[in-house]
Amino acid sequence: MKKDLIIALILLGGSLALYASLSFMEEPAAASFPRVVIIIMGFLGLMVLIQTVTIKQKGERQVLQSDSVANPEKVPKDSGNVKKYPFGTVAGCFLLIVVYFVVMERLGFYLSAFLFFIAATFILGRKDLTLHKSIVRIGIAFIFTAVLFVLFNRLLVVQTPKGLLF
Amino acid sequence: MAEFIQYFPLALTSTNILTLILGVIGGLILGATPGLSPTMAVALLVPFTFHMNPTTGLVLLGAVYTSTVAGGAISAILINIPGAPANIATLLDGHPMAKQGKSQKALYMCFISSLVGGLFGMLVMVLFTPPMAKIALKFGPSEMFWVAIFGITVMAGLASGSIAKGLFGGMFGLLISTIGYSPILGVPRFVFHDVLIGGVAIVPALIGLFAIPQVFSLAEKLNFQIERPHYKPQKGILFKTFIDNLKMGKALGIGSVVGTIIGVIPGAGGQVSGLIAYDQIRKFSKNTQSFGKGNPEGVVAAESANNAMVGPSLIPLLTLSIPGSPTAAVLLGGLLIHGLFPGPDLFLNNVSITYAFIASLVLAQLAMCIFGLTMSRYSYMVMSVPNLYMIAAVTVLAVYGTYSVQNSFADVIVMFSLGTLMYIGNKFGFSAAPVVLGIILGPIAEDNFLKGKLIAETDMGVFAYFFSGSMNIIIILLCAASIGYSIYGEIKAIKKAKENLR
Repeated sequence: MKKDLIIALILLGGSLALYASLSFMEEPAAASFPRVVIIIMGFLGLMVLIQTVTIKQKGERQVLQSDSVANPEKVPKDSGNVKKYPFGTVAGCFLLIVVYFVVMERLGFYLSAFLFFIAATFILGRKDLTLHKSIVRIGIAFIFTAVLFVLFNRLLVVQTPKGLLF
Repeated sequence: MAEFIQYFPLALTSTNILTLILGVIGGLILGATPGLSPTMAVALLVPFTFHMNPTTGLVLLGAVYTSTVAGGAISAILINIPGAPANIATLLDGHPMAKQGKSQKALYMCFISSLVGGLFGMLVMVLFTPPMAKIALKFGPSEMFWVAIFGITVMAGLASGSIAKGLFGGMFGLLISTIGYSPILGVPRFVFHDVLIGGVAIVPALIGLFAIPQVFSLAEKLNFQIERPHYKPQKGILFKTFIDNLKMGKALGIGSVVGTIIGVIPGAGGQVSGLIAYDQIRKFSKNTQSFGKGNPEGVVAAESANNAMVGPSLIPLLTLSIPGSPTAAVLLGGLLIHGLFPGPDLFLNNVSITYAFIASLVLAQLAMCIFGLTMSRYSYMVMSVPNLYMIAAVTVLAVYGTYSVQNSFADVIVMFSLGTLMYIGNKFGFSAAPVVLGIILGPIAEDNFLKGKLIAETDMGVFAYFFSGSMNIIIILLCAASIGYSIYGEIKAIKKAKENLR
């Protein structure tokens, strides 16, 4: 409930901030379409807030948090039974991708893709790591990158970020 | 029909046939892979088509679009996880059949029924698309504006548990489409950082919104053990299954007709068509008790329905820019990056590409059946690809796809930022499909809104211009009906949840 309320307030506050930013636009006529859109967004943000405040029971809230009313299978089960959210794994995945982007600018697409593949499979899958699995993962990373190189660099002749080696 | 026959050979060039075969095989594998959604698969492929000629690019997208729906049935049958939402009804009887050792038969039935339903849907598409395009020819700026809004209302209702959140996503997409320089006045809008100066292009948005949340979701499920595939080879049953399948005329007929009707309705989608067809065949069957316990008629009805939906769902997309499903919304993005604007333009100025695309969809149905039947005995192998590899592969392909379109690293940053935001949004009931549609339809909506405003200011006034005229009224009523239907569905789901809590 508290999280939903915060989200509803962010939607509403965000719409207000965006509306305020329209006054800084050089040409007022350029803001006419975004203005209509932001007003509707504000109204919808208000609807979400009302929904959050009026719907109190957990089961009902879960319906509104599903990705489709026509898809009951996707309605999350009672959160009391759901496993703890693996924040560390997801945050680790996020950081790996950020580092991958930073490294890609220096090492280029292919070398960074190869290193990212190895880093992702080793760090995220460190629990069941054995020597055999390590060799397999490095092998798959090499084959994957080689296939990309042949496909993009030789067959499709597509530009990719350049770096140290390629 | 004459034009379809005239341009059919264009789809038969060696390059197009090879592309079609690769697309079908890839689509079947991607559809069968648990954890990879067909929408994401098509989104990742869009940049590849950028470097092909438009016909070949569309052949590839069409082939993948067609075959992922059928491929999704493989995981539904073997491990009880639908590869696509369209395959939910398939698992109800398909998985019990697999548990009884009849997985091979269930897979054969699935591909044969998909072909029958798919071809029926394609026939309807070929017959009805050109007349619909002629109606769209009469649309002015106000009608086109409302059509864009209708598309967003449809997707908002389809892809979110809460219509308010769905519509908010659609509006947010419209707003994202205005980032960058204003197309008419040339002034910057919402450029809060240099990476936004060129605006948000369709491909980075498509990839970011569909692929990045999937990467994080796969990371969440790293320790999640899926059911072992229930696969048992049965030799020499293809011909017998084919005959058995054709004997189930009632299930095939119900599936094909229901799928076609549902497909034409924008937003209803394959998920609903499969479930409705399943429900209908259960009502018409003499053996009601056997449904849910491995009745082949359930598989036949569901699969013929969700493939019959594929062709008709493209009628509103190709004539009015209204996609019937999230995957169709991505397909719309694929058309736009090749400079093909859905509507009369497709049938007047790009007639050869359009009909070659439609012809390739028909051929894709045949190829899907042939390769599906051939590959079904090896399909269980796809289920054992670890999430770890998929995380790495999808991320690398997402980066490549985004960068390659404009050779811009700024696009990669935009893609990842949007994707991360969408992942957080998903946790609170927001869906990517309305946002994507907002981004795609945004320029169409704004352009026609401004054109209409200019016309209206010299004539009858803005309000009267946008809210009068029979076609405007009809489309506005359709928007209202779409929102109303979603609210009804939401209330019904909440009531059901209340009852379950008691």
